[in-house]
Amino acid sequence: MSDIDEKDIHSFVDAVSAYFYQTTGEKAEIRSAYLVESGVSATTFELIGHISLSGSFSGRVYFSASRGMVRHLLLMMKELNHTEEHLLDTVGEVANTIAGNARQHFGDTMEISVPVVTATTHENWLNTVVSPRSYVILIKWKQYKASVVVDIQRIAK
Amino acid sequence: MKLLIVDDSKIIRSRVARTLNHPKLDFVQVIGMAQNGVEAIDLFLKHMPELVTMDITMPEMDGVACTEKMIQINPDCNILVISALSDKATALKTLKKGARGFLYKPFSDDELVVAFLELTAS
Repeated sequence: MSDIDEKDIHSFVDAVSAYFYQTTGEKAEIRSAYLVESGVSATTFELIGHISLSGSFSGRVYFSASRGMVRHLLLMMKELNHTEEHLLDTVGEVANTIAGNARQHFGDTMEISVPVVTATTHENWLNTVVSPRSYVILIKWKQYKASVVVDIQRIAK
Repeated sequence: MKLLIVDDSKIIRSRVARTLNHPKLDFVQVIGMAQNGVEAIDLFLKHMPELVTMDITMPEMDGVACTEKMIQINPDCNILVISALSDKATALKTLKKGARGFLYKPFSDDELVVAFLELTAS
């Protein structure tokens, strides 16, 4: 179960907003942020990148998006190579950037791993891996949707 | 000037290289790209670049250790750290190891050009 609060979640929302604005020049719309609970699932898209945390935190931060969104993101970055390898690399890099930026709020005792990436056709994939009461941030950019799932806990001293 | 790009992300390596098409950066030539610190040291010893862009969070050897090794080999090397780790402690740590600049991810193309120009002017 996550023990993070609204301010903590806001740091991830800010990181997501900054990523889209800085990378594309266009703001992403934060549609909602909610807790994964009984009957409320973590929205999964086709491509997923995640970062594992260590140090004074444990858990993971996930970024999930459709191939269409990631291809469009790459075009905005003037990247013309849209192989599956590049699409996966992109979701990993987004997850890395969001988690890395959140250290401004959490401090350098929150250590982050290199990204791990996955492609799935399982529409509930995230639900099979995240803890109960993880936070989900739903994003809309252009016509596309994506999600960031924050499944982290502070390590008790 | 010879540039080595070090980042575990293909799209970042490619993006940094593309930025060098900017007319004000036509004096910079990419001599290699590495996806971790170990590969980077090999390429550094082989080509002795004057400029390096350096990610921090990488497998094998991270950017802090890699920066320290490169500066030991060539103290005059200009290293620009490009990282998502936006806490001040990380930036200070790499600057203490000898990096000359720090650019936070996410960055715009213009910010990257300015960072290169500032680094090479120094």
